[in-house]
Amino acid sequence: MFTLLKLEVEKLFRAKSFYLSFVVLIAFVALMLWGFYTYAARKTGGQAVEQFKYTYESKQYFNGLTFALYSLLFSFTLLLPIFVSMSAGSQIAGEARAGTLRMICTRPISRASLILSKFLVTALHACLLLIFFIGLNLVIGLIFVGWGNLELYPGPLNLVDAPGKIMRDEALMRFGYAALSGTWALLVIAALALLCSVVFDSPAQAIVMTIAAYLALYIVGRVEFFEHLRPYFFTTDMDFWRDVFKPDIPWQSLWHYACTCGAYTSGLLLATVIIFERKDIVT
Amino acid sequence: MWVKLVLLLLFGLMILGAVHFAPPQKDENSTSSNSDSHSLRLLTWNIGYAELEDDTRAHDKDLPAVADVISREEPDAVALQELTGNAQLETLLSLLHGKYRGALAPRGNGDRFEAVLVKQADATFTPVAVGSRYAVGVSFKPRDDTRSVLVVSAHADAFNAARRRTYTEAVIDWAQAQSQSSAVFIAGDFNFELKAANETNLYTDNLKHDSESYSNILRHFRDLGRAAGDTAINDRRIDYIFGPPALREVGRVAVLRDAAVGRMDHWPLLVEVRL
Repeated sequence: MFTLLKLEVEKLFRAKSFYLSFVVLIAFVALMLWGFYTYAARKTGGQAVEQFKYTYESKQYFNGLTFALYSLLFSFTLLLPIFVSMSAGSQIAGEARAGTLRMICTRPISRASLILSKFLVTALHACLLLIFFIGLNLVIGLIFVGWGNLELYPGPLNLVDAPGKIMRDEALMRFGYAALSGTWALLVIAALALLCSVVFDSPAQAIVMTIAAYLALYIVGRVEFFEHLRPYFFTTDMDFWRDVFKPDIPWQSLWHYACTCGAYTSGLLLATVIIFERKDIVT
Repeated sequence: MWVKLVLLLLFGLMILGAVHFAPPQKDENSTSSNSDSHSLRLLTWNIGYAELEDDTRAHDKDLPAVADVISREEPDAVALQELTGNAQLETLLSLLHGKYRGALAPRGNGDRFEAVLVKQADATFTPVAVGSRYAVGVSFKPRDDTRSVLVVSAHADAFNAARRRTYTEAVIDWAQAQSQSSAVFIAGDFNFELKAANETNLYTDNLKHDSESYSNILRHFRDLGRAAGDTAINDRRIDYIFGPPALREVGRVAVLRDAAVGRMDHWPLLVEVRL
């Protein structure tokens, strides 16, 4: 199992798509920095002060931690699930497309171990992506926007229903928690993509199906017509990762949703193993 | 085989964990006790209709039902929004059999009026100019042993968050100026769209304006109705009663969800406090 894992990690680090995901995240941070900087300058120095008497759009509000939080929340919805889908969706289907799957399966390893090692490598990729992205945002935020406490207001970001504040050091710790909770949430996508990767022989098909399912549930969950269906979508449960940024972390709710996501992940993985063990590999 | 067993075990554990940590269901109808020991009972209600109707202001045929709710709950002061004019106020006061006095805000640039009703005979009414709109306030002493109370009935713009923000700033400034001499309560329909669960994650100027308006109010006042939940259809909490931060006790807080009649899209919010 360990050798298998080592081989898969080597494959991951040799893949161009692995590095591409980090490059795109760097580009996204640059875009966020430009948008955040111009918005903050426009509002604090111009429109807000001219139009309204009272504002929290002060330089204390727009700091590096706020920047990192906005950037992370925006990217988590769309960008990170795409990369995780790409990584997991190409694991088995990619081998099938390259013609190496049959050869791998002739080795004296169980198919279940193969699935597990490929999933663990995808989880590693997701974790590295989040750690890199959070770290980059914090460094860029510190250099270009400045340090301060993390101030939270009701409305934007939907984190609190009354104004709140997290002190700087505690906020940095919360970003650490977010790396863990975010990775755990993304594992649902990884497990779904791995299942699609087993079902479909083309990696493109597996990735597109995963992203389509994610986006469809995400969008349908946001439409009020389907409000009563919202609790049954895994996309709703995945949102738990953001709770670590609430001034008082709702631990009970966080554990509930973390366990729900864990059930989705393990259930999907189990289904993947069962399907893959019965699959007739002809490529 | 062991991989499948581990995954199965993990799956079972996660299900058990999810059940174990499931948050308890919240009762959104009311909180705290209902007792007469509280020195002030306030009610706010936008009695207009939903947007789809031809006339979204209050309808005459609904006034007996509105009066019934007020008679049943017996608030010390009532903030009403979206009346068509003085005739409706007079009808309502007569339906309340002279138990309440009332006043309408002057007509601003809109076609609807805010009103306040109060039990005390010696209460004084004050129009509050807020840009091109008006709110209306009433000052009274609910009990002999309590300090003077000022209740403002307000209604912020339904369609424009920037206008809501400007309106809120003006109301808060005015209320702040009065807070030295009275315990000030601001009740009404502010139309803030802040409910986290129903909004997208994306950042919009409208959301930011409502956020800033609400946060600005909370710098000086306390949101007394937060625990009671939604006050309007489509899961919206847009009606508020804000009070002084230093209240001795907040008692019953309730949204009366069986009170709406006709095509009303709001429910009354009732708050009891001890000054």
